Amino acid sequence: MNGRPRQGVLYLVLAVAMLLAALAGLGVGPVRLTPVEVWNALGGRGEVTAVAIMRDIRAPRVVLAALVGAALAMSGAALQGTMRNPLAEPYLLGVSGGAAVGAVLAVAGGAPFGLVPIGAFGGAVAAVMLVLAIARAGGRRPDPRVLLMAGVVVGAFANAVIMIALASAPADSVRNALWWMMGSVAGATWAQIAWFAAYGVVSASALLLFAPEIDVLALGDDAAAGLGVNVDRAGRRAYVIASLLAAATVAAAGLVGFVGLVVPHLVRTRAGSRHRAVIAAAGLAGATLVILADLVARTLRAPSELPLGAVTALGGVPFFLFQLRRFR
Amino acid sequence: MPFVYHRSLGLAFGAGVALAAALVAACGDARSRMPADTAVANATGALTIRDDFDDTLTLRAPPRRIVSLNPATTELFFALGAGDRLVGRTHFDLYPTAAQAVQDLGSAIPPNVESVLGVRPDLVLLYASQSNREPAARLHAAGVPTLTLRIDHIADFRRAVGILGRVLGDTARASVVVDSVTGTLERVRVATQGKPPVTAFWKAWDSPVIAIGGGSFLSELVDIAGGKNIYGGDPRPAFDVTIEDVVRRDPDVVFAGPESGERMRAAPAWRALRAVRNGRILIVDTMLVGRPGVRLGEAAVSLARLLHPGSLP
Repeated sequence: MNGRPRQGVLYLVLAVAMLLAALAGLGVGPVRLTPVEVWNALGGRGEVTAVAIMRDIRAPRVVLAALVGAALAMSGAALQGTMRNPLAEPYLLGVSGGAAVGAVLAVAGGAPFGLVPIGAFGGAVAAVMLVLAIARAGGRRPDPRVLLMAGVVVGAFANAVIMIALASAPADSVRNALWWMMGSVAGATWAQIAWFAAYGVVSASALLLFAPEIDVLALGDDAAAGLGVNVDRAGRRAYVIASLLAAATVAAAGLVGFVGLVVPHLVRTRAGSRHRAVIAAAGLAGATLVILADLVARTLRAPSELPLGAVTALGGVPFFLFQLRRFR
Repeated sequence: MPFVYHRSLGLAFGAGVALAAALVAACGDARSRMPADTAVANATGALTIRDDFDDTLTLRAPPRRIVSLNPATTELFFALGAGDRLVGRTHFDLYPTAAQAVQDLGSAIPPNVESVLGVRPDLVLLYASQSNREPAARLHAAGVPTLTLRIDHIADFRRAVGILGRVLGDTARASVVVDSVTGTLERVRVATQGKPPVTAFWKAWDSPVIAIGGGSFLSELVDIAGGKNIYGGDPRPAFDVTIEDVVRRDPDVVFAGPESGERMRAAPAWRALRAVRNGRILIVDTMLVGRPGVRLGEAAVSLARLLHPGSLP
């Protein structure tokens, strides 16, 4: 296989792109700082305001955006392979609906704002488990098509719950949950980044570890079983790890749409058919895209921000339509 | 298959936009302002008023069963001695205490038309938000007259008091209310005149960070109290801002409610703000300063005391 060197170049290009995006994210903001000031402030030197801007505002945003983008893209890449469906992505499989229900219910139940992410994570995990339970009730093996349908059904159910909660909760408190659901890394803190990074590194490593299984699953259930893979267990494992990774992103930054769907397709043609390469490349590309999307979100409508989820979706929709044309 | 995804996102956006609109409307809507001070008593003794929706209200007798769907007008009815004529209010009308005894009809932008009709009003006061256009038309269709007022600025408040005085047939009392508020505001203005202006950022919400802009009466109150709103140049009443933009404008002080101020002290990102590092977060009584009502004068006094301690007794 002559893919190795080409993949090395791909990783290098993606890593450089991510680095450039991060530099842009660190260098651009309402307060103008020269590259030297940016560098010194990152190191804790110079004027106290500049140091605080770099260390407590811009750097956490860039890092959290990178982590969230990487997690969503890796999750999407793994799910598309596992489900053998190019449109599979974590949000379609109940994560977004469940997270939204959890967030809205937490707020409607009078929880303080700090607990909204925990509510969202709980909702996302519950939805993921519910989807899995429904899919398994349909038959012994979790057929990918049944899993997707279960995701759609759970999503519709979640919408109904959200609408009821919105209709009955006071507008004032629901506003919190809604803004938050539109996606943002504006409130990024190092404490939040620390736990998300720990969680993300473990989940992402697991996805990379089980990537060869996903390669086999992508051949089809019968072929995979013929190759000695326990299709049931392998499929469930990939689905749960990928979905929980996406669920954590919702707790960290709200709903950042289309990254999980689009980014794997962006890299797939160049990264080859091995899922370890696709997942890793998707992680780098996802990080780059969300860093740039956050940069757009906070500069395009200054002094206000655009919702991060809206920026990624605006960028994602044209590509998605293009992709649909190719499938026809 | 991805339509569920679209739907849930669309729902989030739709609801978000609606709520953002309601928020802006609740704080005021700077667009399409028009003077509605055209109240005339014609020859037959009927009172005709053109309101902020350009609807004409004709009253042959003072109304006796009034629904007030704006906290500011609810306060006003009590100040004008007509609290006993209220048969409905919004969920948020908690001042004066007597207002809490009036039936709670829920939200106001837009209101539940059926609940409003259920208390058989002979006049409904609405806030001039676009979301209230359709409810106003429905109330008209049901034969219930409406009076829609936009009360965002201090001048709007004065105008509204005058209109309600005429509606209630008690213009003398209305003048007393206006004069008392105007007198107090003037006293505060004089007391803080000549003091070095203090630049201020008014944080109305945390997540997202929402700033009070020049379109809000709060910005006017800050001016009167000897301050200068860093977002006073923006005609909108309230809008979200990035923390770094606030840092760039470098205010001397921050106004915030008790909980909001506490969250600000705890958040690392806000340490980029000089005012926060210097401990200059001024905690406001959100119930007192929250509405452009009869307590505007009191609100200005409380802000002046925070901005310029010792300027007012």
